Amino acid sequence: MTAADNDRGPAMAAARDLPGRQDGAGTGTGPPAPAPAAAGGRLPGLRGVDPLDVGIVIVVLAVIVTGMLTTRFFSLANARAILASTATVGITAIGATVVMIAGSAVSLAVSQTATVVAMIFLATQQFGLAAAITLGLLSGVAMTAIQGAVIGFWTANPIVLTIAAGFAIGGVATWISGGTTVNPQVAAFNGLNGTPLGLPLAVYVLLAVTAAAQWFLRRTTAGRYMYLIGENPRAARAAGLPVGRVTVIAWAIFGACIALAGVFLAAFNTSANANLGGTLSLDAIAAVLAGGTAIGGGRGSAVRTLGGALLISAISDLLLLRGFSTGIQLLVKGLLVAFVVIAVHVRSTRGRR
Amino acid sequence: MIRRPAVPPETRVPAVALTVVLIAFFCTPLMSGRALTAFDVYNTFQGLAQIGLLTLGLGLTMIAGEFDLSVAGTYVLGGMLAVRTGQSSAILGIVLAVGAGAAIGAGQGGLIARLGIPSLPVTLATYIALLGLTSAMSGGLSVTYANTGATLWMDQHVAGVFSPPSLITLAGFVIAAVVFAGTRLGREVRAIGGDRRASRVAGVRVERGLVGLFTASGSLAALSGALFSYSYAAANPNPGLQPLILATVGCLVGGVSLAGGRGLPAGLLAGALAVALLRQVDAITAIPDYYTELLYAALLGVIVAVDAPGLRRGYDRLRARAATVRTPDRRP
Amino acid sequence: MSDVTGDRARPQVRAEGLSRGFGGVPAVREVSFTVGAGEIHGLCGHNGAGKSTVVKMLSGQLAPDSGRIVIGGKPVQLGSRQAAQRLGVALVDQELSVVPELSVLDNLLLGGVSTPLLNRRRAATARCRQVLADMGLDRIRPQQPLAELSIGERQLVEVARALSQNARLVILDEPTATLSDVETGHVFAAIRRVAARGCSVIFVSHRLSEVLELCDTVTVLRDGRRIATTAASELTVSDLIVQMLGEAPHRLTAARAPDPRPAHSLRIEGLHVPGRLTDFSLTAQAGRVYALAGQLGSGASDVLRALAGLHPQATGLVRLRDRAVPFRDPVGAAAAGIAFVSSDRKSEGLFLDKPIAANLLATRLPRLGRAGLLSSRREQQAARSLAELVGIADHRLREPAAALSGGNQQRVFVGRSLGRDDVYALLLDEPTRGVDIGGRAAIHRLLRAAADAGLIVLFASTELEELLELGDVIITMREARMVARYEGGADGAVLMRDMTQGKRAA
Repeated sequence: MTAADNDRGPAMAAARDLPGRQDGAGTGTGPPAPAPAAAGGRLPGLRGVDPLDVGIVIVVLAVIVTGMLTTRFFSLANARAILASTATVGITAIGATVVMIAGSAVSLAVSQTATVVAMIFLATQQFGLAAAITLGLLSGVAMTAIQGAVIGFWTANPIVLTIAAGFAIGGVATWISGGTTVNPQVAAFNGLNGTPLGLPLAVYVLLAVTAAAQWFLRRTTAGRYMYLIGENPRAARAAGLPVGRVTVIAWAIFGACIALAGVFLAAFNTSANANLGGTLSLDAIAAVLAGGTAIGGGRGSAVRTLGGALLISAISDLLLLRGFSTGIQLLVKGLLVAFVVIAVHVRSTRGRR
Repeated sequence: MIRRPAVPPETRVPAVALTVVLIAFFCTPLMSGRALTAFDVYNTFQGLAQIGLLTLGLGLTMIAGEFDLSVAGTYVLGGMLAVRTGQSSAILGIVLAVGAGAAIGAGQGGLIARLGIPSLPVTLATYIALLGLTSAMSGGLSVTYANTGATLWMDQHVAGVFSPPSLITLAGFVIAAVVFAGTRLGREVRAIGGDRRASRVAGVRVERGLVGLFTASGSLAALSGALFSYSYAAANPNPGLQPLILATVGCLVGGVSLAGGRGLPAGLLAGALAVALLRQVDAITAIPDYYTELLYAALLGVIVAVDAPGLRRGYDRLRARAATVRTPDRRP
Repeated sequence: MSDVTGDRARPQVRAEGLSRGFGGVPAVREVSFTVGAGEIHGLCGHNGAGKSTVVKMLSGQLAPDSGRIVIGGKPVQLGSRQAAQRLGVALVDQELSVVPELSVLDNLLLGGVSTPLLNRRRAATARCRQVLADMGLDRIRPQQPLAELSIGERQLVEVARALSQNARLVILDEPTATLSDVETGHVFAAIRRVAARGCSVIFVSHRLSEVLELCDTVTVLRDGRRIATTAASELTVSDLIVQMLGEAPHRLTAARAPDPRPAHSLRIEGLHVPGRLTDFSLTAQAGRVYALAGQLGSGASDVLRALAGLHPQATGLVRLRDRAVPFRDPVGAAAAGIAFVSSDRKSEGLFLDKPIAANLLATRLPRLGRAGLLSSRREQQAARSLAELVGIADHRLREPAAALSGGNQQRVFVGRSLGRDDVYALLLDEPTRGVDIGGRAAIHRLLRAAADAGLIVLFASTELEELLELGDVIITMREARMVARYEGGADGAVLMRDMTQGKRAA
């Protein structure tokens, strides 16, 4: 337990970040000031105690207290395990956050896209790591951005469209691959499985992607438009904001994130078959929702999603250490997501009208 | 104003889809080289029994403008609960499963209706939780159903092409169709999905309706799961998203729109039947899976296009531009 | 009051001292009136007079703060629409409240308390045919989807639903706003039949000649108070206008001199929106304020919406500063220099959860940085100077727009389009809807200043005072067409006549 204090670092910092960010970031595009100096002060019109704040504090406290009573929870190795298990889902979830903020709710084609990217990545190993990554990213961005264009310009329903896209992507992939597992001859991907400073490379990528997405959402025109379009697409349209273009950008970013996750999945598994993507679609949505991003769009942040993903991983890890089955882990995850969704909704509708 | 074609999409979409799939079904001998048998029809109805009631439950909430992802979880839980509690009495298992499904649906429906929360995130969370609960009940493993009497009864052939589960499924659709056509409930469900504010002004009890619908979708999903487990003599704690996706396809092909207000039980039956037929066509002809997947993608693509307001706006814009070009000085 | 109609003396519905406020601002104050059995009672008033609030209280959608409602001699609590319907109150809402996804028959049956659980299809269809025929809708089949009907026909279906419910009180809130004269005739005949059976009718309308034609008695509201209840036979349109407006409405002040340079004008030729606007032409010059005067359904707001790109099926020719405007697409219209302020602030205007600063800057983000990156310094500066311009305290910039009062929200909404060198024409639909007196004056000052700074300002309004105060040029509209154009020399009564009756009566 000597390393306990160290380990509390990343996981807990992110989790603690949740309630702290409510005031500044939670209201949307963020204030024009570079730093939310007003954070900590309550928003007028929202009196009383925030159920989400209270709830998250209780959950985090419960995790900490139970963690202290659990051998090996606060240990360096365990912190690594939590972070490592968060990486691929987390990277995908950051992308999902961007489209959810921009008002497109969810994508149900994530698993298939990640699988296809993984296959392309593994099938192009002979051209070198950089080329394989580039090809994987480009294909992911292309597949997803096309969906974004249909959603943005035609106002297609994202759920139906992404189910269709999932079938199309999965179908084409099976067609071309002949339904076999892709086993690369050359293993250029080994570099991606490195663990600098004891952490998997994917964890660093997750942190970098989070930071980049956070910056993009707050400090670029397109990012700010996403909050506006997501909150009120009708108003955005009436104001002449470039709804279609911005939606495409959001989905392109999502595509890049899915592709990154696919690349890491491929490198980790060293081969890719049709089931590689697994439950990535729903895991990513769960992480975004647990971070408090509203499904209706216009609210949320990348950092919060990172917090949500880490919280889910930490709780699952804790339950695992205490000997609970995966079933119980899933059950608790579902309840956590339900709680955050309801609390976020209650908070956002309270004080209005 | 916009003149719509005489046949509304809720009839046209399933009719076209079912016709196409039926033609494909009757053409299968050309590819497989063997004539269709009653057993092929029986199998099709078995396929219908697998996703039919799930489609119906999901479709009913979709008609009311909601999307109940949790049916996939209730389906799994229903199957597991029925197997665990119905070893000695199959009926008891079914009753408990349906009761649990109804309770879960009512709870969710109450929450969604009272707080006005979008149903997708709530039902997604419920889905995850139910999957966990089911897995915890079985230790994450498949549980076999030892009541061979019940399993044999479930798999018997009735009138050559039916089985008890497929008959129960068809009965579910018939009941829903009768309620829809014969009582004011069908009208109100569609009104709730079509325009919630207008429904309230007209005097429809919107909240009560939503709770009822979610209860129905939960019960149907649990019943569906229970029947499936009995007939396969096992309950699988995690069959993945496949049943949900297929049921959603069944709904959409059945002429239901995710925007709400559109759809009929008969259309849902046609949609579910189309999906079941397609699987059977797959099985008979042994064509690669990806043909079916691409076909689904194309079908859903058409449905997306039919329902996309932005596409219609673009079309209006083009037509108006063409009209302006023809009469540059004054419009007609 | 009921003594004006001897045979209708038996009071059926009584409003007794109804009051209701919103956020401390009273909307209706101590309003009382009585409607006898079989009486058709008109409810008139200018915008914001409190008509809708009274209707909402009587139909069970809103609880009064004080006062009571008596139906059939018994005081009643109308907790919800259902409760009101059980007590026999049918309603035609101001907003079209039928469901396009259902058939005509289903819409007629929807929600009625007398609708049985089990459908009796044959009887219902026969009755539906009868009801439709009464409305002059013989050509419509009961099984036809409502979506196939025109807006006017849908409105008739909603009226038919309310009238066929065997109610004790039928409230019709602006039922004829989207109807043609022939359709209105059918509605009136149907209302008279229902009244003849002893049902009380409350008829709310802006069309004053219609009110006098149809109603037995007319109650006029102004500023939330009841001003008068008079027998319709003793009233003229002019009397009603005086009752509604109070003191004689002022004349149009001298018009500003226009900026004659064509390079700075907005030219609209033959603008047409199917079913909404017919052949509208106008050349608006920079530096002047143009007012479109028209009630709901007159096409006034459709002119603005078409220019802003929200009617993709619009045809015609629009040129701004001598350049063609791609006006069927909102992004194109905005890029050409048109800024639009919708009448629906909540759903088509502000981003209510977002900070005020974000709302003020929403449409000018690309100009606050380079290559898509925002400069916080320039953002802050821009937000501050805009806040000062529209009169919102600096320290409130981070509050969500929802925290502001209606008037301040509207300032933010208008301010969003001000102080931009890439906006040449400012279009506003009902620029002061739901805004208090002070906020109203402030917004008028902003618009005047914008015009003085060289902007083309074009707004649509239903409020006479606003039209007269702000409009250098006033264009009256009715039934999708322009009626007349005034540059000075108009007064409220003339405008009201144009808007409610059209040119022929003027």
